[in-house]
Amino acid sequence: MQTKDEILEQIKASLAELFELDPARITRAARLNEDLEIDSIDAVDLLDGLRRQTGRKISAEDFRSVRTVGDLVEAVYKLVQA
Amino acid sequence: MEKRQTYLWRIFVTGACFTLFGLGGLILGVLVFPATLLLPGGPERRRARMRGLVQRALRLFVWVMSGVRVISYEFHGSERLGRPGQLIIANHPTLVDVVLIVAFTPAPCCVVKAAMFRNPFTRRVVRAAGYISNSPTDEMIHGAAAALRSGDSLVMFPEGTRTRPGQPMQFARGAANIAVQAADVLTPVYVRCEPLLLPKFEPWYRVPPRRPHYTLEVGEDIDLSAYRGVPSPRASRLLNARLLEHFTARLGASGGYNGNRGN
Repeated sequence: MQTKDEILEQIKASLAELFELDPARITRAARLNEDLEIDSIDAVDLLDGLRRQTGRKISAEDFRSVRTVGDLVEAVYKLVQA
Repeated sequence: MEKRQTYLWRIFVTGACFTLFGLGGLILGVLVFPATLLLPGGPERRRARMRGLVQRALRLFVWVMSGVRVISYEFHGSERLGRPGQLIIANHPTLVDVVLIVAFTPAPCCVVKAAMFRNPFTRRVVRAAGYISNSPTDEMIHGAAAALRSGDSLVMFPEGTRTRPGQPMQFARGAANIAVQAADVLTPVYVRCEPLLLPKFEPWYRVPPRRPHYTLEVGEDIDLSAYRGVPSPRASRLLNARLLEHFTARLGASGGYNGNRGN
């Protein structure tokens, strides 16, 4: 079972790679849209990436309320717990 | 300037064309589509048939609009539209662009405004034809990519909405994203309309003082090889910037129309 910190590290790595971001900018408090410039189209790519990594069916609904990297960690944590 | 009488006539006929469009949508959706359900064939066959019907209906509509002199048009290179897996992207100065492009593309799939799925005149038709709603979601991206992969051609307006008159064009990244992941061929269509008919923020009855003339030109296919194998967020940003440059170089910053409404 992954801890939230492990999930955060994983998310950091994939965001940094996918969006060519400086990992230092990817903190729990960072807002995906305003701070990291990840828009709704990127969110689709991001979900596709998560689907491939976790091998789970992920519905966009589960991520509707995600605003920050921290929210994303929580949402993924909930999913892998389920 | 034409005589006042001719101008009033054009307002009347433009209104009549709107009515005809709505009626056509109703007839296709309420009468023709249910009737085609009696023909043999599964859901895919049915959808293809509906797309063919929509294309022919719009062709007829274009013929009527030019017949009653609401518009005139020329369309260059339309024989290169409708190839399998072809993503067709066009700038969007006016309401009629999609009508002209779909009318001249063999049975394409189409990304249309989400409101068309709620509008009582159009909703049955866009559903039956399996068109895709333009909200920037999972379903839109996946639906469009699946259509291209299955060999459909797909019409999209990267601006997402009509060009704001006098403002520079802006491309949302959805079309570029779909192109890099799923298109076999990417083909631009440049749309010009002079003077501008039915732009954004204008009520329909403010028809321009002269009859609008549309020039549609199918451009050379855009090479996608440089974007393959690049992670999608980066590839789609690069391609999107390139597409905007490309259309701007061709049409000027404000798209299919520069200057005033011909007043």
